[in-house]
Amino acid sequence: MAMPVSGVPTDGSRAPAAQVPAGHALARIGRAIRSNRKAATGTILLLIFILVALFPGVIAHASPTQDAYPPRLGPSSAHLFGTNAYGQDLFAQVVWGTRNVLIIAFVVGLATTGIAVLIGVAAAYLGGAWDGTLGVLTDVLLVIPLFPLLIIIAAYAHGGTTIVLITAITLTSWSYTARQLRSQALTLRNRDFLEAARVRGERKLYVIVMEVIPTMTSLIVASFLTNALYAVLLSSSLQFIGLGDPNTVSWGTTLYWAENNAALQTGEPLWAIAPGFCIALLGAAFALLNYAFDEIGNPALRPVRRSKRVRRA
Amino acid sequence: MRRLTRYGIILTAGLLAAGCSAGSSSSTSSGSSSGNTSTNSVLTISNENGALWTCGFNPLNSSYNLLSVGFTYEPLVYVNPLQSGKTTPMLATSWTWGAGNKSLTFTIRPGVKWSDGTPMTAADVAYTFNLIKKYPTLDLTGVWSVLSSVTATAPYTVTMDFSTVAVPYFYYIADQTPIVPQHIFSTIANPATASISHPVGTGPYLMSKCSPQNITYTANPHYWQPGLPRIHTLQYPAFTSNNTANDTLASGQAQWGAQYIPDIQAFYTSKNPNFHYWFPPVLNVSMVPNLTNPLLSNVKVREAISYAIDRDKVSTIGESGYEPPANQTGIVTPTFSSSLNSQALAAWGNGYDVAKAKSLLASAGFHPGSDGIMTNAAGQKLQFTVINIGDYSDWVASMQVIQQDLRAVGISINPSNLSNTDYQADLFNGHYQLAYVEQYTFGPGPYYELNNWLNSANTAPVGKQAASNYERYSSPATDKLLNQYSTTTDPATQQSILNQLQQVMLSQVPIIPVVEGVDWYQYDTSSFTGWPTSSNPYAQPPVWAFPDNEQVLLHLSPK
Amino acid sequence: MRYALRRLGFFVLTLWAALTINFLLPRLMPGNPALAMMSKFHSAGATPQTLRALETLFGVNNQQGLLTQYFGYLHQMLTGNFGTSLSQYPASVTSVIGSAIWWTLGLVGVTTILAFLLGTGLGIVSAWRRGGKLDSVIPPVFVITSAIPYFWVAMVLVLIFGITLHWFPSQGGYYVTTDTPGLNFTFFQDVLNHAFLPAMALLITTIGTWILTMRNTMITTLAEDYVRMARAKGLPGWRIMLDYAARNAILPNLVGFAMSLGFVVSGAILVEYVFNYPGVGYMLLQAVDGEDYPLMQALFLLITVAVLFAVLAADILTAILDPRTRAAR
Repeated sequence: MAMPVSGVPTDGSRAPAAQVPAGHALARIGRAIRSNRKAATGTILLLIFILVALFPGVIAHASPTQDAYPPRLGPSSAHLFGTNAYGQDLFAQVVWGTRNVLIIAFVVGLATTGIAVLIGVAAAYLGGAWDGTLGVLTDVLLVIPLFPLLIIIAAYAHGGTTIVLITAITLTSWSYTARQLRSQALTLRNRDFLEAARVRGERKLYVIVMEVIPTMTSLIVASFLTNALYAVLLSSSLQFIGLGDPNTVSWGTTLYWAENNAALQTGEPLWAIAPGFCIALLGAAFALLNYAFDEIGNPALRPVRRSKRVRRA
Repeated sequence: MRRLTRYGIILTAGLLAAGCSAGSSSSTSSGSSSGNTSTNSVLTISNENGALWTCGFNPLNSSYNLLSVGFTYEPLVYVNPLQSGKTTPMLATSWTWGAGNKSLTFTIRPGVKWSDGTPMTAADVAYTFNLIKKYPTLDLTGVWSVLSSVTATAPYTVTMDFSTVAVPYFYYIADQTPIVPQHIFSTIANPATASISHPVGTGPYLMSKCSPQNITYTANPHYWQPGLPRIHTLQYPAFTSNNTANDTLASGQAQWGAQYIPDIQAFYTSKNPNFHYWFPPVLNVSMVPNLTNPLLSNVKVREAISYAIDRDKVSTIGESGYEPPANQTGIVTPTFSSSLNSQALAAWGNGYDVAKAKSLLASAGFHPGSDGIMTNAAGQKLQFTVINIGDYSDWVASMQVIQQDLRAVGISINPSNLSNTDYQADLFNGHYQLAYVEQYTFGPGPYYELNNWLNSANTAPVGKQAASNYERYSSPATDKLLNQYSTTTDPATQQSILNQLQQVMLSQVPIIPVVEGVDWYQYDTSSFTGWPTSSNPYAQPPVWAFPDNEQVLLHLSPK
Repeated sequence: MRYALRRLGFFVLTLWAALTINFLLPRLMPGNPALAMMSKFHSAGATPQTLRALETLFGVNNQQGLLTQYFGYLHQMLTGNFGTSLSQYPASVTSVIGSAIWWTLGLVGVTTILAFLLGTGLGIVSAWRRGGKLDSVIPPVFVITSAIPYFWVAMVLVLIFGITLHWFPSQGGYYVTTDTPGLNFTFFQDVLNHAFLPAMALLITTIGTWILTMRNTMITTLAEDYVRMARAKGLPGWRIMLDYAARNAILPNLVGFAMSLGFVVSGAILVEYVFNYPGVGYMLLQAVDGEDYPLMQALFLLITVAVLFAVLAADILTAILDPRTRAAR
């Protein structure tokens, strides 16, 4: 998996965009994406993958599961990535596998971010013993190495279907972003606009949902991207080592079959390289977007454009 | 900054230098040495066992016998399963059956010494068998279920009396029982569980060094066959994964393999003209119906399943063409072709006949439902789950082909890929509808596998563990045939019974053989000759097959 | 001192949490998976003591209440009785693990140090020369490399350097048949040879985070007033970069290092798997394959404890090095 890419995560160094209502924040984000090259690249890649996941049959005409073709063919116009040792069309496998990967990415991303928002913001606002307990829970789960834990969970479950993978990953991966969200929520606690809301007599829940969370939009979106990225990497890693369901069509399971058939050593490298490359590309898309959000949030990190005309005499 | 870069470059350069030089030197220090005398010859074995070595060599205990029988310990007689049970005397020079085949007398070879110098006599043989009787966990082949006594009647004569006539048990008694030294084993406190780190045997090799990663054997200078073995040193590394084991073969570091290698042409044989492989078929891999299932108890349904499977395709796609298609008689060809009832098989017709499958289902009262699945008048659908071993990727792939084939005739199967433990639990206890199974034991003739499948003594009711008759087949007439076979030594009678058993397979379809399971075997002729091949099948070739492995070791010689 | 005690307390708490998770998992799974494993031990001829120890570990055939089982389990864990390995029966789990630890320690340890040195170095330079060629290339490149799955990098390296170019071996830790482990030069050379590609795979994927985190904190630090003061004083550039900025920027990196260790460990598991490198991660996956639950459990705990130790060490190191944290706590 990748490691956290953003700047030092623990002490809320990510400044909130501005104190504006949610709608404006999203519009600002949209504009920022268009102007930032990294964000633009990431968005385009992501959109391509989403399109592929939505309309796989349009792009790949072959069936991904039927052993319908001569085995071990190289790339050709009929089979863009060739066929594997079972006579399955690899291009079709990769294309149809996109759906499973993106479903996992988005479901886990949303669920994990949801849990993180809940716990992080609640801890910041409820304070006291609640904050203490939730904080400890978050920290403990943060330090316990996730991948080995997922391995033994999946091992006891004798390999997980997609649902099992989604559940296991969601239940264990929320702590990192929960911590980030809590830090930021803490820094917001004493801002004027919130004080104003309190004075107005708004209830705590209203303040949290309608005032605080919209302000943290950019961080929440970034958390979603981080969690989606980890979901992709963790789930495909588990599938690769054989702890997923080998009968589903997914990039990780294609890699599993490639490894089982020594694809690299028998002259069928594309079987392993192609799905891995897609994982890398999707991961890169999420990471680029995430990094771009860093820059949007922290202007100090934005690239310095040196004007070539500057010449001091 | 500049300081850091410099160190970085030096570090990388250093590693690269170490890498390149080590890479070139180690390729010459591996395995075989051509043109040297036999004292320098080293044969390296590649057999992935899934675990590191525990350095125990007790030949009677199944945890340890893989590494000791054949290398250090020997049987009375070698029986070649690939040449219809052709015999080679080893520790016994001759044997005779008594009246009615109720007793068996062996003449023991004189002049054989244990590796510590003590002479081997009939007393050791009798002791071995009586030790097995005393500790039933050591009776891996069940010889004491048919023996009543084993005595050394003279210094070089052993007489065995049978409680039940069981001629086929000659294989288990003479070939599958390693003889152990009485003077060593009688001093061990618990010979059944002892690991024995320094084995003393009569065999061609001595265990000279053992670590969890590798075992080294050296030739026994006092071996009873003069001039043998011709290879001085054996290296037997422990592999925990197929990939590493396969790599040592492909790089030439190991010369004798017992590996499943995917796409063996590209991976192995294309790398060196001296690399060869041979996969002798030994046992059927079959679709096994649970005969207690009401729909599967209908013989026409089972016949339809048999005709619906495109065995050639399963062999090509699922097994990369390594495992040839099986046939419904259950006779493994070409290994046991001489026993095949060709007339009966010809009457059965083409094994893959979709039209016939469909008409059989129709005559059984099934018609396609709206979803394409065959349904009968009572509304019962031909929908089954098949249990399979999830770890065997070739079996999973084969099942995908079978699933597609059966769907084409309207039978829907849902594969359930289980762990080995869960699979065995379900299979042995009869908690399944269909299963994909290969028997666990092999013998020198088709009788052994058929007996495992068809003998009612080997089955048990659902909920209890069946020994080998997992489909719960039971027929007094078939039992009678099988018992008749075990009382005779006459080949003609044996063949006639086999012909009738094949008729049973064809008319009653208790199991549906799909492909023939093979022994994985690779060999490198660069430095060694004398390998078993399809034209010279003098022994079962993989290193884990004992005591066949001893025969291979005795036939090999350095070039 | 109080800080150290608090961190120690956190360490103990997390250790307890890991032990409890480990205890609960097999009992929570539908149809206790350990049942099948127990029958395998039975057929291997395990002694009653072995069986009893295993029953306590996994809660099979156990008539005792959950709490009694829990305390029995804790007692066993803390006295180092992890049971018998199934796949290497009859070896005990502790004896099996011993051999694998050194391989992983070597691989992960060396790679982490290298990644730290190279990574922070590049991060410092990149931040110092903002807007330069290096800085425009580094962030996008390493953002991407840190998102690439470890096993894919490993596979690409195997394909290019192992299979196509034959420059390095792509399997194992050393040549088992020809080398004996020991303090001899051939063995050492062989080990380096085999470790090169796995180390490269780990390095390529983990270095990105070091570079980027260092760069980001450097940039923030470079905007501080005291750096501006140093520049005003006319100090040479590299001195400001190293003595003023980098020194302060590096500390948050240490905290990040501790948290990222979990990822390095996960990466090591995958890299060892692809290279069949005989370390702890590889052994964990073998244990999963062989349904060897005692071994699997023990390895999970070992990995967790190792990570916890590293985190504790990093925390205490930060406290020692950074007076600000000491004052703030």
